[in-house]
Amino acid sequence: MNSSSSNQSEFDYLFKLLLIGDSGVGKSSLLLSFTSNTFEDLSPTIGVDFKVKIVTVGGKKLKLAIWDTAGQERFRTLTSSYYRGAQGVIMVYDVTRRDTFTNLSDIWAKEIDLYSTNQDCIKMLVGNKVDKESERVVTKKEGIEFARKYGCLFLECSAKTRVNVEQCFEELVLKILDTPSLLAEGSAGTKKNIFNQKPPQADASAGSCC
Amino acid sequence: MEYYFQTNCAAKSSEWTDELHELQLMFGVKEFMVIAPATASGVVLDVPEASKLLSSVAIALSNCGSIWPAFVPVHDPTREAFFGIQNMGTIFTRRFDADRIRSQVPIKLMHLEGLHQLFLSKFGLYATDFSTNFLKVKFLMRLTYITPPFDGEDDAQVREHEVSQSPGKKDIQTYIKTIWDDDYPWSNWYSAEDPLKGFELTAIWSEHTVDDSLEMEELENASVFEAEKWLLSPVLELNMTDDPMGHFIGFSSQLRLLVKALDASFEVKFIEDLITDGNPASVPSPSVLDRVLKGLFHDGQIPDRQHDHGIGGTIKGAPLGSLFAQFCLNALWFGNCNIHAIAVLWIEFVREVRWCWEESQPLPRTMTNGRIDLSSCLIHQKLQMLAICIGKKGVKRDVNGNSSVSDVDKDPPIMTEDMHEERLQAVEAFGDEFSFSALLEREILSSDMSAFKAANPDAVFEDFIRWHSPGDWESVENEERSSASESVRMKGDWPPRGRLSARMSDHGNSWRKIWDESPSLPASEQKPLLDPIREGEKILHYLETLRPCMLVEQMISSAFKASLDTLSQTSYGDLKQMKLKIEQLYKTISTSLKPLRGNIVADRAELIGDLVRLCAVFEHVEKLLIFAASIRHKLADATRLCEAIFSDFYNYYLPKMGTGSSNICYDKVFKSKQLIKAHEREVIISLFPHPTANQSWRKVLSMGNLLNGHEPLTREIIFLAHDGATDDQYGRNVPRGSPGEVCTHRMYVCGTSNDLQVALSVTSWD
Repeated sequence: MNSSSSNQSEFDYLFKLLLIGDSGVGKSSLLLSFTSNTFEDLSPTIGVDFKVKIVTVGGKKLKLAIWDTAGQERFRTLTSSYYRGAQGVIMVYDVTRRDTFTNLSDIWAKEIDLYSTNQDCIKMLVGNKVDKESERVVTKKEGIEFARKYGCLFLECSAKTRVNVEQCFEELVLKILDTPSLLAEGSAGTKKNIFNQKPPQADASAGSCC
Repeated sequence: MEYYFQTNCAAKSSEWTDELHELQLMFGVKEFMVIAPATASGVVLDVPEASKLLSSVAIALSNCGSIWPAFVPVHDPTREAFFGIQNMGTIFTRRFDADRIRSQVPIKLMHLEGLHQLFLSKFGLYATDFSTNFLKVKFLMRLTYITPPFDGEDDAQVREHEVSQSPGKKDIQTYIKTIWDDDYPWSNWYSAEDPLKGFELTAIWSEHTVDDSLEMEELENASVFEAEKWLLSPVLELNMTDDPMGHFIGFSSQLRLLVKALDASFEVKFIEDLITDGNPASVPSPSVLDRVLKGLFHDGQIPDRQHDHGIGGTIKGAPLGSLFAQFCLNALWFGNCNIHAIAVLWIEFVREVRWCWEESQPLPRTMTNGRIDLSSCLIHQKLQMLAICIGKKGVKRDVNGNSSVSDVDKDPPIMTEDMHEERLQAVEAFGDEFSFSALLEREILSSDMSAFKAANPDAVFEDFIRWHSPGDWESVENEERSSASESVRMKGDWPPRGRLSARMSDHGNSWRKIWDESPSLPASEQKPLLDPIREGEKILHYLETLRPCMLVEQMISSAFKASLDTLSQTSYGDLKQMKLKIEQLYKTISTSLKPLRGNIVADRAELIGDLVRLCAVFEHVEKLLIFAASIRHKLADATRLCEAIFSDFYNYYLPKMGTGSSNICYDKVFKSKQLIKAHEREVIISLFPHPTANQSWRKVLSMGNLLNGHEPLTREIIFLAHDGATDDQYGRNVPRGSPGEVCTHRMYVCGTSNDLQVALSVTSWD
């Protein structure tokens, strides 16, 4: 429990984020685009991948631990454990493939309900590959409607052109910073003394901003 | 000499309004004044002295133009006797007189007829030639009934009980009291006093004219259904709601003891220390211990479903009905939950668990579905893991099994929270330096590939991808053959035409690399991902060496959760406020217990203080729930009334619930009076079952106005006599604005067969 206590001063909060969605929608590319500003064709993720990025949002220095999961069915039971303690979950679909969108409600939203241990956890819907506008089959309106129904944030982006990539993570993090119970957990991650903090308001709700 | 004012200026439309002061009700006055001596008795014992005092007060009041009535208490205080006088302008004077008989009421005065005659006789005192036809006598009545003690079972059973017990030996009331909550979920653990002792039914006959005394006799036999208005008010058991210093025994009281145990547990390093230097007197006898363990391990059925309340799932505790949750609930009541008793129970508990492990017996009350419930506490996770290990230990490996694709699927790795934690920490430690891809998943992929190769000796990488990651296979026949492709493929059009996705066919693709490196090996011959013997022993080691504070911490979470889960199974109908309170409590518990998820406690005093406050909040909700259950049980057929009374109680109780501290003084008295609608009367009548033969011989019924054979608790009557002669010589002196009639006589009678209170107001022309 006391490991890595030496880097206490490096950041104010540590948040755990999770990327989920069908195989091939571009989760790993999105993460790579965010963490190292590059885009390349990646091998399909095996199980899970993990990246860390330190960002400054709202004057706070944040350490983001982002878990990138494999979309293949075989890995789904394995990745279930990564939902634990995540303050934010990003559901990614490919705007040029309808099945990746319908699977969100059929599979992925249910996975969150099933495995997330954090009831206030912020959900974000991201439609990727908007650079392929000509091949688009899922409209922006459909995305907005889904987000409203499931109470999540929503953005469309392109990991390739980096359009809206930063914003995806920034909006999610801002919402987490806005949620007292998540904030309390995030600061617990810094191994500060969490017991002196007053428990957050019992009725603090995640809600939706859509 | 001391005097005070009491006013009630609001105009009253009814004679029976609840807010009326006693004197207002007795004498039909509004504002009034009482002059009472500041002595111990508070009354003027001497009658002439009282009269003298009253006259001087009357003069003083008339001199200053006051028309307020003045009263002087006289005689013995128990008689509640008053003299009073009121100047009403220049013409009228009203005199008041009240007295009370506390025993041996004359039979005549027990009946309406006699009381009516008493009223008429009062006219004679004032030398006027009133004849009854000159007067209109009006009559109002209020009857208050109290329900007989409730029986939890139906009548037949109670009667049966009465027969089996020789009559009179056991008080039926006590019998009834002990069983009211038998069917409620908490009764497995404790028995609560019924917070609702009964109901008071008030039946009101509004004003009507009475011609003679015979009519009064008829009124005495009139059915309560003839009353214009029915009102119902609950009678509470005050110990329940106004419990100044924790006499209530329930989950909350035991949780408080568990918190105390937590505080003590920080001092101790090993569970065993609590046994050797413990206080043996605080630990129940071995026979009790045996019974508890038997109940836990041998009578246990696996819970059909984990009773996870939607919100309850956020409390990090074992699910209700599971082995550890049952352990916690038992511990609450075992030796009053002191730390030594907990230690004894735990050591025996772990011993039983080890027995199951050694003997490969399934762990009772432990459901896994092949996965670990990470939202529960660690001990529950460990027990789940152990149950899985016991299951795997017993399974013999079938080496010559027929392999096919379906055999490739192996169980996902099963890990408890601490194993995940270890892994995540390892990953995080490497995360910054390497491009990390989880080793465990890589191992699983490789094992899948080996098994696939063994099952399909001629398979190539593409075949594996089509099965394992169908999204990475781009079929060229897709557009041409549509849905037929599946069956065609089965018939032998093999291999299917198509290609791997770009990312899967990249040079240096990691999947291909693993494929090339994986040997052909059936799943059954591969080294299992989980070694059940090793993992099982690790779990027992954990349980056997658990530090006391780590144990009690997890017990706290599980006990709070299981207690509330148990309580929330109570059926209380559709009482929304109750539902809301329970949901709020789940949230409060969930947030308050978060600090327990670590094992470092920085400010112990603050933590314990918070938990004690949480127990107080729990207690309020627990009591409210018991009230809800009780009222719902009694008024199940009158939903509207049930909800209205609960709502009144809720609003009365809410301010007390707000604060966690119990020593604030509240002097507000609970009042709830609900007007009963016509269709609800039948339900209310059913609260007054006919007394059984045994009950009825005990009472001598003498008053009349029976309701299903029950006498009223009190019968209040008001007689009014109006002077109807508007054209008499005094008529012109009637002050302007008053009605043509003057109420000359008013008599208030409140009584039972052995207590009679009479108050008389007489207006006279002086």
